Amino acid sequence: MTGRQPSAAAQAALDRLRGRALPKNHDARTISALAANPGCARRALMDAAGVDKQRVAAQAGFPAPFGQSRFAIVRGNAFEAQVKENGAAQLLILLREVLGLDVSEVGYADFNDVGGNSSAEVRHRHTRHVLTAPDQPGRTLLDHPLLRLRVGGRPAYLEPDLIALRLDGTFHVIEIKSFAVIDGQADPGKVAAAAIQSAVYVRALRDLVAEAGRDPAAVSHQTILVAPRDFSSQPTAASLDVRRQLGVLDRQLSRIASIEDLLAQYPGTLTFDLDPDPQGRPRRPAAELTAAIGQVAANYAPECLATCELCFLCRDEAAGTTGALGKPVREDLGGIEYIAQARGLARGQLPAPEQAEIAAQLLRAAQLREQVLGEAV
Amino acid sequence: MIGVVAETIEALERRIDELRVAVREAVLAGDRELAGERRSALKSAERAWEDALDAAAAEAGSPAQAGTTPPAGSPERSALPGSLLPLREQVYEALSLLQVPAAPKLIATVHEAFFGATFPTTRVTSLKRDEERSFRTAPFARPYYICAALSADYLAPSRGLLAVSTWPLELRVIGSLSPRVDFLTAAIRVAEAIERIPEPPPAARHLLQRFAASISGAISPAGRADPAAVSEAARAELTVHRDRDAMARAAAAGRARGLRHAEQLFGTAMFRDRAGDAADFAVDPADIAGKAAAE
Repeated sequence: MTGRQPSAAAQAALDRLRGRALPKNHDARTISALAANPGCARRALMDAAGVDKQRVAAQAGFPAPFGQSRFAIVRGNAFEAQVKENGAAQLLILLREVLGLDVSEVGYADFNDVGGNSSAEVRHRHTRHVLTAPDQPGRTLLDHPLLRLRVGGRPAYLEPDLIALRLDGTFHVIEIKSFAVIDGQADPGKVAAAAIQSAVYVRALRDLVAEAGRDPAAVSHQTILVAPRDFSSQPTAASLDVRRQLGVLDRQLSRIASIEDLLAQYPGTLTFDLDPDPQGRPRRPAAELTAAIGQVAANYAPECLATCELCFLCRDEAAGTTGALGKPVREDLGGIEYIAQARGLARGQLPAPEQAEIAAQLLRAAQLREQVLGEAV
Repeated sequence: MIGVVAETIEALERRIDELRVAVREAVLAGDRELAGERRSALKSAERAWEDALDAAAAEAGSPAQAGTTPPAGSPERSALPGSLLPLREQVYEALSLLQVPAAPKLIATVHEAFFGATFPTTRVTSLKRDEERSFRTAPFARPYYICAALSADYLAPSRGLLAVSTWPLELRVIGSLSPRVDFLTAAIRVAEAIERIPEPPPAARHLLQRFAASISGAISPAGRADPAAVSEAARAELTVHRDRDAMARAAAAGRARGLRHAEQLFGTAMFRDRAGDAADFAVDPADIAGKAAAE
């Protein structure tokens, strides 16, 4: 990933943006979220600088009860443990069906610790050593290998649930999720999130293989999603092609590397420092912090509520805009930025020349609405 | 039936003796918290002993009723909340049936299916710690210890697997193929155990069904898991892995023999001691085992 590092000057500017706080490292979730809203300069800048968005949001007066629910985590862990127990017995049968895994391929290697040492650095080195070895004797399933991806100059440790290795030396990333696949169908949003997360692992794995001088194509873009089937706890597996997600991710990662362009748009005095006292309690006035955040444009969409710690702040800021109602609404009302403006046009306000077309549509929609519901807009 | 009760009383007496020793060790070691814990365990064991004695006396006094007491293994017995046997003996019973290293969850399921009593798996984790402490204080004082299975590469305790100290080292080291080999072996043992019992409890059949679901060709077209068919399917797959696994295990066991006794049973601790210190982390497993043996 050496080609994607920000310059020293950019790094200094990012450090200044972060202020005195320690940089917050990325994980698979935050990297996926990055690719989920590529148009948001605020998020791009804060993530590149490693700003602790949760604390910044809280200090600005918009704390977000963010993170996965405890119940979801417990359920997810229990399902993963069940699928992996007894040498991943349940999974082997599934993989024999999905990947056409040979009966002789049953090797199981545990990367959760290295001889009792579970430090990230040791685990990553062990992972690298094993995955780049010229041959892989008796290794088929690699449990929780620890990969590393450099994002904005800082390493992010990533832990795929499993990597399966087929006889011909191709790696397949396996993601175990606890949402149900009912009648072969799952929540599209959740599948999309799993796909982008798997793509992050594929990217990191390809980097690792490439660094060792081997062909990155050894890491398949076909990843495998394992989830409970119907209403049971029995697992089912599906193949996911993550080529598109890899493309989005690569663009985002190179955008972070070319963060200079984005940085150049803001004054050198801009910082998200929380002015902590000696005990680490933030002292920066909320209004001042909000003003600093406001200098960087956000691209709020309702989806942000599921992926970004700053969501409540941005939603408050975006109140009254058409974008706050979601991408479909914004696209339908092309060129109209505020909800009030749209309502005005619907009531028959004289439109600007470039809004004539959409104004006619709005007027017609308002008439229909009045006919059906009997109320004016 | 009196025989069964008398056996439980004897088991409790052994347990009480062991706990007395454990209390003494903890008090002499100055560990007040542990001593308190063990004292309360001792008290409850003594209470259980009194109750068991009362029950035995009542039964001896009314021989007419003794014949109607349900035999061991019947639903009445399995409705008991837990066995009167100490945890280590329950774990030993289940592991002896499986004859392969197993995770606490499987041990608890097997015990529930065949011996009619279950226990929380969280207690099993502390059991291994107690066993290690006991071995280090007085090595080989007990006929067996519940110990760790060792990972073949670093000879460190394999995550979550328990074994019995009297098993050969080859069985207690875990290579990359061993989880599957042990799973198939366990399936065969469970199938054989079911064939031995005239009326296997439903929990045991359910356990076999779960094993069968993860073995190719073990389930009949009707969806049933027949013990003989499960055994046969497991043996068929076992022939594919057995030789390669045995070679890896024999090599690892050979290295493990160079370790001290406590390390052979509970794993090398060199990495645990240096957790976080990655600077001189050697990547060659053979090299590390060599170092561990030299210590």
